[in-house]
Amino acid sequence: MTVSDYLRYQKGLTGTKVVCAEGDCGACTVLVSRMVNGKLGSYQSINSCISFMYLLDLCHLITVEGLKKEETLHPVQKAMLDSNGAQCGYCTPGFICAMAGLTEDAKNGKFILEEKRVKNYLTGNLCRCTGYDSIIQAGCSVNAEAAPSLRVLYQDEEIEKDLKSLSGQTVCLKGAQQEFCAPATLSEALTLKSVNVDLKLTSGATDLGVLSNKGKLKLLKTLTLNHVDELYSVKEDTSSLMVGAKASLTAVEEACRTLFPAFSNYLHIFASPQIKNAGTLIGNVVNASPIADTIPFLKVAEAEIGLSSVRGERVLNLNQFFKPGYKQLDLLPDELVTHVKIPKSHAKFKLYKVSTRKDLDISTVTFAVRFELVGDIIKNISFAFGGVGPSVLRMTELEKQAIGKKFEPALFKALALNLQSMITPLSDVRGSADYRQLLCHNLMLKFCDEVTAELGLQSAGISV
Amino acid sequence: MSVGNSIPHDSGLGHVCGESVFIDDRAETRGEVHVGLVCSSIACGDLIEIDASEALRHPDCLGVFTAKDFVHKKWGTIVHDQPFLVEDKINYMSEPVCIVASRTRDSIEAIKHLVKLQEKAAAGIFTIQDARKNQSVIYRALKPFVQGNVDQALKMAPHKLTGTFTVGGQEHFYMESQAAVIYPLENGQLEIHSSSQHPSETQRTVAEALGLSLHQVVCVVKRMGGGFGGKESQAGPIAAYAALVAQKLKKPARLILTKDEDMKITGKRHPFQNEYEVAFDDDGKILGVKVLLQSDGGAYADLSASILDRAMFHFDGVYYLENVHIDAVCYRTNNHSNTAFRGFGGPQGNMTMESIIEDIAHFLKKDAAVVRLRNLYQGPNVKTPYGQNLENNMLPEIFRQLITTSEYEKRRVEIDKENLKKTGVLRGISITGTKFGIAFTARFLNQGNALVNLHLDGTVQVSTGATEMGQGVNTKIQQIVAHGFGIESGSVQVMTTSTEKNHNTSPTAASSGSDINGAAALKAVNKIKVNLIGLARKKFAGEVSSALKEYELEQNAETVPLDPNFIFQHGKVVELSTKKEISLKELISIAYQNRVSLGAYAHFKTGGLGFDKEKVEGKAFNYFTQGMAVSEVSVDEYTGEVKVLRVDLLMDLGRSINPGIDRGQVAGGFVQGMGWVTTENLFYDERRNLISHSPTTYKIPNIQDTPREFNIHFIENLNNDCNVYGSKAVGEPPLLLGSSVWTAVKHALSYRSKSNMVNLTSPATGEVVLMELTRLKRSP
Repeated sequence: MTVSDYLRYQKGLTGTKVVCAEGDCGACTVLVSRMVNGKLGSYQSINSCISFMYLLDLCHLITVEGLKKEETLHPVQKAMLDSNGAQCGYCTPGFICAMAGLTEDAKNGKFILEEKRVKNYLTGNLCRCTGYDSIIQAGCSVNAEAAPSLRVLYQDEEIEKDLKSLSGQTVCLKGAQQEFCAPATLSEALTLKSVNVDLKLTSGATDLGVLSNKGKLKLLKTLTLNHVDELYSVKEDTSSLMVGAKASLTAVEEACRTLFPAFSNYLHIFASPQIKNAGTLIGNVVNASPIADTIPFLKVAEAEIGLSSVRGERVLNLNQFFKPGYKQLDLLPDELVTHVKIPKSHAKFKLYKVSTRKDLDISTVTFAVRFELVGDIIKNISFAFGGVGPSVLRMTELEKQAIGKKFEPALFKALALNLQSMITPLSDVRGSADYRQLLCHNLMLKFCDEVTAELGLQSAGISV
Repeated sequence: MSVGNSIPHDSGLGHVCGESVFIDDRAETRGEVHVGLVCSSIACGDLIEIDASEALRHPDCLGVFTAKDFVHKKWGTIVHDQPFLVEDKINYMSEPVCIVASRTRDSIEAIKHLVKLQEKAAAGIFTIQDARKNQSVIYRALKPFVQGNVDQALKMAPHKLTGTFTVGGQEHFYMESQAAVIYPLENGQLEIHSSSQHPSETQRTVAEALGLSLHQVVCVVKRMGGGFGGKESQAGPIAAYAALVAQKLKKPARLILTKDEDMKITGKRHPFQNEYEVAFDDDGKILGVKVLLQSDGGAYADLSASILDRAMFHFDGVYYLENVHIDAVCYRTNNHSNTAFRGFGGPQGNMTMESIIEDIAHFLKKDAAVVRLRNLYQGPNVKTPYGQNLENNMLPEIFRQLITTSEYEKRRVEIDKENLKKTGVLRGISITGTKFGIAFTARFLNQGNALVNLHLDGTVQVSTGATEMGQGVNTKIQQIVAHGFGIESGSVQVMTTSTEKNHNTSPTAASSGSDINGAAALKAVNKIKVNLIGLARKKFAGEVSSALKEYELEQNAETVPLDPNFIFQHGKVVELSTKKEISLKELISIAYQNRVSLGAYAHFKTGGLGFDKEKVEGKAFNYFTQGMAVSEVSVDEYTGEVKVLRVDLLMDLGRSINPGIDRGQVAGGFVQGMGWVTTENLFYDERRNLISHSPTTYKIPNIQDTPREFNIHFIENLNNDCNVYGSKAVGEPPLLLGSSVWTAVKHALSYRSKSNMVNLTSPATGEVVLMELTRLKRSP
C-alpha cells in the first residue's frame, strides 16, 4: 500500500493529496526521518504517493496535519496564509510540507533562507493557480530561526528510543500474495537473495512506485536494504568517492560539491528534492534507463560498481557493467549492488542535459565529457550521450578521433558531424529524432565553445 | 472598511492546515460504491460489442453499465450532441464506453481490465487541414466582423504580408481531477457533490441523463481544486456517470478520475490555425487586415461556438483596425472534444495579432513597440471590429507607464548590442496587451442570484451561485457583504454553493463570478438594509413599539432605494442628518421582535447588454479589463532552450476589491499563459493516444520557470462605474499577457534571420525554437 493511500483511506488524514501518483507534482509531499545508525536523521520531504508503507519501517512520518500544534500554526503555514500562497488549496499541503523541510534545514544551520533556496526546495511541487509568485514570497518571509524544530515539536528522543528498540532486526513479512524482506545486515540480504532470486530490490521506489501505480508492474516480492546502515555511507578516500547503495541522491549531490562540482550541479536540476531524498544513485544506475541522468557522467568518469553475492564480490568498470542493448546489465540474479566508486582525477568534466522544462523533467538528450588538456592539445577525452540509443552510449570511436589533437573548433565541427552516424535516436514525446540529432551536434559545439572561452584558447565566438 | 483590503482567502487557513475538504476527502459512507470508466482504444470507428461477462464475475464488481442504461443518451451545453457513453460510433480516443461499479477503490482497475471491447477502426480526421478538406464543420461564424474596406486597403497598401499563425491546445491541469460523489435520497432524489464550475448545469445534465425532474436533483459545490474552464461543461457527464450507478444500485457512488484518465478523456483549449493577410505603411500602421480563424473543436460541439466567437471578438487585441475582415470556422475532428479554458478563445485571437505585429516590425526593421504604439487604440480611434466602442480606454496610459517602468527602451538598445556579440545566448523583448471583454457573449448567462441571511448576533451567511476554485470569489463576496453591512469581514460566512439555495445560476466563468454574484449579494444586502433603515428611522423619530403595536414598514424593500442619509459602519447604523446611531445588533433584535425579515434573496442582471451576431451590432461587453506586459527572454542558440528573464505587468482592475487576491490572479494567469506558449506540448502518437497525459510528460511551469524578475502593478482607475464597487474582473485577462513571452522569443529569433519572416509556432518548446532557429540560419 502506498503511503498516501494509507494516510488518506486508512487514517482519514486527507490533507495529503494525490494528483499524479507518479512523484511529479508534490501534492503528496510528507516529511520523513529515518533511523540510521541508531539515530533519527533529519526530516526530509518525500512523495508519499510512490512510497510504500513497508519501506517506512523505522521512520517517523509527519504530514501537513501534524505541523500545526494545538491552534498554533507552523511558521510556514502562517507565511503561506499571509502571502495568499494558497488559492485552490489542492497543492498547498504539499508545499507546506516541502517548505517545512526547507525551514528545518535552514534552522539546522545548513544555509540562509533566501529566494534561490526556496525555489530549489520547491522544485518538486507544482501549482497551477498562483504562478508561484506568492509562494516564493511566503517562503522568503519565514523566519527559520524562530521556527520550532520538528525534533523538539515531536520530542524525538522518545520516538528515537522506541524505534531503537525495534532496530537491528531482520523483518520478513509474507502475505497470501506478497512477500517483503528487510534484512538488518548485508550478509542476510545476500542469503535471502541467493535463496529467492525473484525478490525485487526496492530502495526509494521512485521508479517502481510509479510503475506499480500505473499498473505496469505488480510488486509481489520485494527486498529492501533500508536497514543495512553501512550502505548509507558516502566515503571519500585518497583516490575515490565511494557511494553506498542506500546513499540518497541528495547525499551524493552534497558529497560531490567540491569533489565533482559539475556532477553536483547537474544533480541539482536532476530531479525534485522529494525524489532525490528517496532515490539513490545506485537505483538510477541499476534502473539502466537510456535517459538515466547520472550514467553518462559515471561512464566517462570510469566509475566502478561493486557487486556482492553469497559467492563473493565483483568489481566492474561501469562501462563493462552496462552491456549493449536496452537495460542489459552484467548483473547475476543473486547479486546485489553494494556501491559505486568514482575515481578522483585531474580531468575536467562538462555535463549537459536538455529537456522540455529545465528542472524536474526527463531528458531529451544528455551529454557528458571528461577531458584533460596539455596546453591546447587533448591528452584525454571521453564522451557519453544519453537519449540517443537503447542505452547510454560511450563514444569510443569519436574519442579516438580527438585524442592527441589540437583543441579547436574545426576538430569539434568534424566530431559533431561524425557523431551523427553513430547515434540512433528515436522520436517520442520528448523530441523528434531530428531534434535529438541536432542537439547532439550542437552540444558538441557548445562544449567546444565553452571550453575555448573558459581557457581563453582563442577568441570566443559560437560555432552554431 | 472591508472592500479594497487584502484580507486572506476565506479558505486559506483550512488550505494551509490540510483541513479543507475536496470531493475525494469526503469520508466514505456505508455501502459506498466506487465507479470507474472503460474507454475506447480507437479514435474513430464502430463499437461492435461490449463483453462484460468476466468483469461481472469479479467478486467486487457490482455492475457494468452502458449507454442503454441512460434515459437520455446525449449531453451538451449548446447542443446535445455528445453521448454520455458510446452507443455505436466512437469519435475520439479514450471516449467513455461503459461504467463499472466496484465494492472497493482498489478493485476498480482490475474490473475495468476485464471488460472486453470489440471495436472496428476507421480512418479519422485529426488535423484542421484534413477537416477543412473534408468540410467537417461544427460551427461557422454567422457573419464576419467587417469594418471599412479591407480589399481596397490590401490592394493599395505599400506593404503586405501573408501567413498562418499556429497555436496548440492546452491541458487545464487543475490539480483536483474531475470528481463527483452522489448520495441517493428519498423520493428518488439525488444529492450531487461535484467539482463543478456550473452546479446548475451539472444538476440539469444529471437529471436529463437519468430521466429525473430538476426538483429531484441538488448539486452541491463546496470548492474545486482548480477549474480554469475545464469544469464548466465537463463536470456534468462525470457526475452523471456516478449518478447512474447511485440510482441503479441505490447506494452512494463516487467517481474520481486519475490524472492520466482525466487528461486523456476530457477536452482542452482549442488549437487554432489562423490565416491572415495584412497591409501596412512604412510606419507600420496597419491599413487593413483579413483573417480566417480556424479552430479544432474536437469530436463534439461543447462550447466551441462561443469560444470561436470570443476569438473573433479578441482578434484586434489592443489595436485599432480601420479596415478589417474577421471570419471564423470551427472544425469537427476525431480529437477529444475541446472546451472552455481561461480566455475562452480570446488568447488565440489576441495572440495572432501580436504575432502579426512582430512580423511587421521585423519586415520594416523597426522596434515592435513603436509599431504597437502606432496601432494602439487611442484618441477617437476606439471602434472595435464588432462596432462597440472601447470606453474608458486605459491602453495609452498603460503603454506609456509600462514602457517607462520596465525600462523597455534602454533594454531594447542593450539587446540589439548584445545579440551582435554571438555568445550563444540570444535575447528578445516584447510588449503585448489585452483589452478583455467582460460579459458572457450569450446574454442570458449574465444573471445571478444571492441569498443573504442576517443572524441575531449580527453575523451573516451568504449563498450565491458562484463556485470557489481558488480564485477568491467567495472572499470578494464576503467583503462586499461585510462592506454593505459595515461589519468585519470575519462576521460574514460564504456558504457552500448549492442549487437548492441558488438555482438557474450561470457557470463561474467568463471572469464574471465576482461581478455577477457579488452584485446579486449586494442587492440582497441592500434589501435587508432598506428594512433596517425603515426601522431605524422610526426608532430615531421616537416611535415606540409595544406588545400592542409593532413597527410596521410601509415600504417595499424590492423597490425602495437605499436612503443615503443612513450609513452602516463599524457595526452601527447612523442617521447622518441627526447623528443618531444604533448598534446593528440592537437594530437586528428590533427587526426580529417586530417580525421584519432579516433575510433576502436578490436577482441581478448585467444591464445594457445585447449583441446580434447575425447583424454584428450591439453591445457585446459590459466593459473591458485592460493590461499589458513586457517580457524579456533568453534563447540558448545551441539547444533552443528558453528562459524568462524579466516580466513587468501593468493591469487595470478598476477599484480592486481585494488587491492581494487580484495579484494572485494576475501572477497565476500570466504564468499559465506563459506555460501554454512555451513548454506545454500536447503530444499524440499516430493512433491519437495522448502520450503527454501526466506531469512527467506534460510540462506546466514549475517554480524555476517563473520569471527571474517579476513585477506586477495595477494602474489607478476610479472610473469603472458599470461594475460592483467600481471593480473589474480579473480571472482571464492576465492569461492573454503570457503571449508576450512567445513574442519575445520570436523577437530573439529575428536577430538570426536574414530576410525571412520568423515562422514560429506555439508552444515554443526547445525543439520548435531550435528547429526554426536552424532553418533561419540556413536560409539565404
